[in-house]
Amino acid sequence: MSGAPGPRLAAVLAGLARRGLEEAEVYAKRGRSRRLRLDAFTRVSQLDEEEGWAVRAGTRRGSLFAAGTGVPPPDGPWPEPDGRPIRLPPPDDDAGAGWSAPADFDAPLVGEPEGFELLAAIGRELAGELAGARLLSATLEDGASESELANARGTAARWRGRVAVLRVEAGLGAGAAAGPTAVVELAEREARRFAPRPLARRLADRLTAEAAGPPEGFAGRDRGELVLAPPLAARLLAALVPLLVGPAAADRIAPLRDRRGRVAGEAVTLVDDGRHPGGALTAPVDGEGMSTRRVVLVEDGRFRQPLVAWDEARGREARPAGCRRRAGWRDLPATAPSHLYLVPGEAAPAGLVAELARGYYLLDATGPPAVDVAAGRFRVPVCGFAVERGRASAPVAGVTLAGTLQALLHGVQTAARDLAFFPYDGMVGAPTLRVSGLELRGPSASP
Amino acid sequence: MPAPSDHPFAHLDTAAVGRAVAQIAERPGDFADAFFERVEVVELPPDDGDGGPGIRVRREEGLAVRLVRQGRCWLAARDDIAPQTFSEALRRVARVMPAAAYPEPRLDVEPDASPVEAPEVLELPAQVQRAVRARRAAFPLRLTVRRHRRWVQVVRGEPVVPAPETEELYSVAAELPWSPGAGRWGALFPALGEAAASRLADALVDLFRARQAPPPEPFRGVVVLGPAAAAVFLHEAVAHALEADVLALGGDPEAAVGVRLGPESLSVLDDPATAPEPVRRRTDDEGREVRRRWLLRAGEVGDPLADATWAAGSEVLSDGAGRRGGRHDPPGPRSTHLELLPGELDDEALLADGDGGLWLAEAGRGALDPRTGTFRLDFPAGRRIRGGAAAEPTGPCRLAGTVAELLAAVSGVGREATAAGAGWCAKGGQKLPVWATAPALRLEGVEVTA
Repeated sequence: MSGAPGPRLAAVLAGLARRGLEEAEVYAKRGRSRRLRLDAFTRVSQLDEEEGWAVRAGTRRGSLFAAGTGVPPPDGPWPEPDGRPIRLPPPDDDAGAGWSAPADFDAPLVGEPEGFELLAAIGRELAGELAGARLLSATLEDGASESELANARGTAARWRGRVAVLRVEAGLGAGAAAGPTAVVELAEREARRFAPRPLARRLADRLTAEAAGPPEGFAGRDRGELVLAPPLAARLLAALVPLLVGPAAADRIAPLRDRRGRVAGEAVTLVDDGRHPGGALTAPVDGEGMSTRRVVLVEDGRFRQPLVAWDEARGREARPAGCRRRAGWRDLPATAPSHLYLVPGEAAPAGLVAELARGYYLLDATGPPAVDVAAGRFRVPVCGFAVERGRASAPVAGVTLAGTLQALLHGVQTAARDLAFFPYDGMVGAPTLRVSGLELRGPSASP
Repeated sequence: MPAPSDHPFAHLDTAAVGRAVAQIAERPGDFADAFFERVEVVELPPDDGDGGPGIRVRREEGLAVRLVRQGRCWLAARDDIAPQTFSEALRRVARVMPAAAYPEPRLDVEPDASPVEAPEVLELPAQVQRAVRARRAAFPLRLTVRRHRRWVQVVRGEPVVPAPETEELYSVAAELPWSPGAGRWGALFPALGEAAASRLADALVDLFRARQAPPPEPFRGVVVLGPAAAAVFLHEAVAHALEADVLALGGDPEAAVGVRLGPESLSVLDDPATAPEPVRRRTDDEGREVRRRWLLRAGEVGDPLADATWAAGSEVLSDGAGRRGGRHDPPGPRSTHLELLPGELDDEALLADGDGGLWLAEAGRGALDPRTGTFRLDFPAGRRIRGGAAAEPTGPCRLAGTVAELLAAVSGVGREATAAGAGWCAKGGQKLPVWATAPALRLEGVEVTA
């Protein structure tokens, strides 16, 4: 997996050196994917092969970035170095240590009949779960890739990837009686891991809740106890990435500390793990060839360190990890989580709802969260169910969950055991959470 | 802009490619095509940006082969243009004898070894800075400037080969550090220079001066959209609403023809052949001739936007509006260049009796729910109409309603149409530039919320 660069990459590094570009890195990626799309009018079956490369290089005065398809050309053409000089990482002696590629990396891509049958099964399950619900469109993409990287400082790495993404849009009713729609996007290491029934249930619950609108007699604001399902909890965690990632994260999260020094409730332990077992983005190294590892960011509510790359660590507490991800060969590597999650507890998720005397079981966000890190506030449109004496009493939609970031993090009382990951900027995961101290606002409530 | 003789696909053996493609369209009603593409993007990030490299360049090329049969589509795309790659892609989409060896026609494509030069991109930030200063304003200016070039050749399994196409355009994205909610503002240009810098400075200075203005209280009344905002409005409410695949979500697309959607003063065309010269097209991304297409003619639906798949077997829908984000995406019906025919009102008449209403020069994001016909469009700032003129700035607001309600609310069309880049459209995840030529537009009785 690591060692001397392959001959193609070595030739590019040599060509860049001849141009006087002392700092130089070349990355190459090959991939293939099957993409299947189904809607009411058509079926598209696609089989793609991609091959691309990227070069970062510079002098003491400036740098360049170039990317292209095919094989990286040893002699450019390269743009003139401009902007700021770049720094590339030194060889990581630990890169790839303790890593063995998961067996399903070798699984073949999903076949066309098999993939379309998966999508059709989701439609059948959905129709069985909720009368009048139907699949509007579904896209399944299953891909595998091999990457290779080398830099002029001696880093050389090769690794593989395997990820499948499923996006489903469902609706209730049709024509003049068209009701709400719901979109769910999931990612797994390979397409065969998607389970139609749980996905259909999630869509059916969303559509049921969204068809209802705000509950009758809703007073505009409610501070009832809340249970947040994993999709909503993960969506909120994804919005909190600026508090956890990068060299400025420690300063951003500091105002959330309470008198005991905690930035969150004791039930909150946050981890990023580039090698998360079963993770869709699991890899031995990051997009710069640095070794990935598990990093505890918040432990029992106490902030331990931000997620930082090799050149971002400040102070003794912040131990860097390989966390520079490349969205693709067209993109520069950027510090980002790969599998960021809230560590699950022991509780059964159903038990958290059953314990609610009066409150809300919130299923999902119905729009993007608005997070103002500087003001320490957030709001997100949500849907779910009102709960009375441990049972769902009415669907709820058209409402906004809002509060301070401090209240959100300190209000987490219990984490259930049902950790689930969702694709955002990286994979972000959370279990069902019991939370207090937040406000549910109806459409008539002032901001 | 590159000369036509420099087109990288000028020496493809298109006849041989066409014969090969024709082999896989073996059933009546089948159609197949090959799509060759070269793309170059040169990017200049803000000079105090992410600490990364300065000028950035991406050059890519590849091909895709497609077969359409009875509404189903098989597509194979490759990041390479070579005889063997083409043959392999052809084999992947063939429904009969996929294991057969398919022809490997000559695909002579000059490698792109030209030096990376984009002086106009490098000069723009300083030009905008000077233009902002000339408007007596000063704020941190963080611009990302990109030049986008694309060369396309489509070959169908037919004797007549469409001409190769070339597009060149520029996108500029400005960060708005004073507006954490809005974040960024962007625009497209067919060319850079002092005129583009002036247009950018006008928009940015207006947004800066409105930075502390409160959003308007919700009201129902008069809204006058400037040409740039009218272009976005028409893109969402007319172009998207009249794409065949969007119409089909609500019923039969053919049934839309002749339906009255707006007042007689509203006539909207889509014509890729009259777009700004660097992005002008003679054929679409399926190699079909583009049309000067009446979307709304005196308020009635004329010719909805359709690609070859939707037009096949229809006596009403016509092809020529098939576009694709790239070789890895299947084509779909999309607008390219909208024209709103000018009316007779000058600015004074558009703003008359509009006290309490809003003048909205720039639009942000819009969204159309095709199943319900509901539509919303966000505006980063505006100006209150007082005494028949645009007065004090207001903060962000939203226009919402159904397409039918909003188009029926059009009460006046300005008499001076101007070219306005409507921006990027990301329908179905395929990001495409869309253009418009439009005058200002007056709407009455529409609901505006904060």
